[in-house]
Amino acid sequence: MDDYRSRKTKQKFGVFWGNFGLPLIFIIMFAIFAISTPSFRSTYNFLNNLSFASYVGIAAIGMTFVIMTGNFDISIGSMLSLVAVLGSSFIPKITGVAGVVSTVLIACLLGFLNGIIVTKLRIPAFITTLGMLFVFRALAYIYTNNVPVYISDRFWLYIGNGKLFGVIPFPILLMGICYGVAYLLLRRSPVGRYIIAVGTNSRAAALSGINVDNIKILVFTLLGLFVGISSVINSANLGSANPGLMGQDFEFQVITAVVLGGTALSGGNGSLGGSFIAALIVTFLNNGMGLMQVNSYWQMVATGLVMIFAVSLNKLKFFLLGQGEF
Amino acid sequence: MVKFLKLYEKIGIFILIVFAGIFLAIASPNFLKVDTILNIITQGTYGVIVGFGMVLAITSGGFDLSVDAVVGLTSVFLSLLIPNIGIPSAIILSILISCFVGFLNGLIITKFGVNPLITTLSMATIIRGASLLIAKGRQIPISVEKFTVIGTGKLIGVPNPIWIMLVLFIMFFLLLNQTPYGRHICAIGSNESAARISGLNVTFVKIMVYVLVSFTASINGVIRTSQAMIGIPSMAPGFTLLVITITILGGTSLSGGKGNLIGAVFAGIFISMIYYGLNLIGVQYFYQLLSVGLVLLFALFVDGLRKRYLETAKIKGIKV
Repeated sequence: MDDYRSRKTKQKFGVFWGNFGLPLIFIIMFAIFAISTPSFRSTYNFLNNLSFASYVGIAAIGMTFVIMTGNFDISIGSMLSLVAVLGSSFIPKITGVAGVVSTVLIACLLGFLNGIIVTKLRIPAFITTLGMLFVFRALAYIYTNNVPVYISDRFWLYIGNGKLFGVIPFPILLMGICYGVAYLLLRRSPVGRYIIAVGTNSRAAALSGINVDNIKILVFTLLGLFVGISSVINSANLGSANPGLMGQDFEFQVITAVVLGGTALSGGNGSLGGSFIAALIVTFLNNGMGLMQVNSYWQMVATGLVMIFAVSLNKLKFFLLGQGEF
Repeated sequence: MVKFLKLYEKIGIFILIVFAGIFLAIASPNFLKVDTILNIITQGTYGVIVGFGMVLAITSGGFDLSVDAVVGLTSVFLSLLIPNIGIPSAIILSILISCFVGFLNGLIITKFGVNPLITTLSMATIIRGASLLIAKGRQIPISVEKFTVIGTGKLIGVPNPIWIMLVLFIMFFLLLNQTPYGRHICAIGSNESAARISGLNVTFVKIMVYVLVSFTASINGVIRTSQAMIGIPSMAPGFTLLVITITILGGTSLSGGKGNLIGAVFAGIFISMIYYGLNLIGVQYFYQLLSVGLVLLFALFVDGLRKRYLETAKIKGIKV
């Protein structure tokens, strides 16, 4: 039934979904949790969740860029753990501020390394980062001898736990700044357009004079940067950097957020706003399930189902807009 | 140079094994004993058996990251079913359930159009959660003594897992190289659209591939469970990386279309030798993890170089 009327309806639906679908899901989910669980309703819980959302949310910015260029990075969980243990172990020798800075810088370096391997050695991003996942994790174990590093430095802890005006958690501000900068990069600078070009058609981008390799290295490095920031926040929240437990399933949650947010895995244009709302959905979903005392094994099943659901939904959207097959 | 690369494709890994063998023989007097060698090969069968399935999956252009979860699932079902319906039925049922998981993977990948990476990754999480749920987080011991024969028994002095690997090797080799189905897998891996337009039933072929991968994973689960005699829901962490390493090291190209089963066998034995050597030096578990990751990267680097060289050779007109 491919007549004009049905196509038009599908298009309208697709556009509606593209603009309002995610916020709608968030509101519905929020409502369900709010009605069924009293502890979900408090302002404290809400702000807390928003703050925790920065864990996935900030890294999701970098991952959105990487996926927009048609690449992938599943090493970020191990990266998170490695940079946290490295940076926090430096605190006694240099100050806490320098510890934070070095964590972020090391993360940039690791991202840069991933980028180099993918572009110069031509090893597919997925495999590179799969291998790096194990390499980083192993290095974290070896460096700390499997002993967590406890963090008591005030500056570091403030990044994860501090509150502005006594109420608003600092990570929320950090997340806002990161998204703001990312938005400017993506929509208001040439680099953003290059990223989209590389992901849409890297051959055409190369012929247009864009240095495809450099853009790819850039997005991997940026991902490292944002993962570094997430790492500081996360380890500050936990009060320690644990080589084994930190960042478990992190890459999974971040990729879920980016894909749920509407960025296609095949590359090309993506949505930062979508990633943001999706990160909120993932975080609030975890929190809600926890408060409802859902068995943690069921949570695992639910997380996997959400991922498949997210990608299918995305495909459905593209199909409705007439841009793909279903 | 081209001739060298083609030769490498066929026997490269074998040469690596010979080198490693010589090295280990010099390093340790224990190595040349029949028992030790059989042990090493048995350890290798873990990855190789599932590697057979993974070769099919990668040759068809896809991936399966859910194998470690399927191993755990099989283990849990075995431990729950054996006391109730006896060993043979329990094994068959557990394998069927795992094949169903593979069927789901294939279904989602073909009908929902979801990227194989994401599908199998998510499915792995789902199945892990499901295994933990079904086992209620516990590890369930198996008390039927006969069951351990599968994993630890020997037939004419050769451990059973090696026999299982040989039988499966023959099956998969015939499947991939002698049946139309095998050729269809290669065709889809080389150029899926062309295969579809040529009239191949891509959906059926792909779904069967994922069923077969889960099948091999469940066989691995049977062997492991029979060796441990406990049903462990979180069995085999990190196994997927090992299997992928073995497959690629064995010469199966990531771009699809070419499957190398013998290479996988040798690669599995080679990695088992590396583990043996590392254990000998007393290297800890974490360093072993590191080395598998590095071996994978190295194998890919070589694979990439080879591919690029062959491509430029074609362009330059050198006969390939």
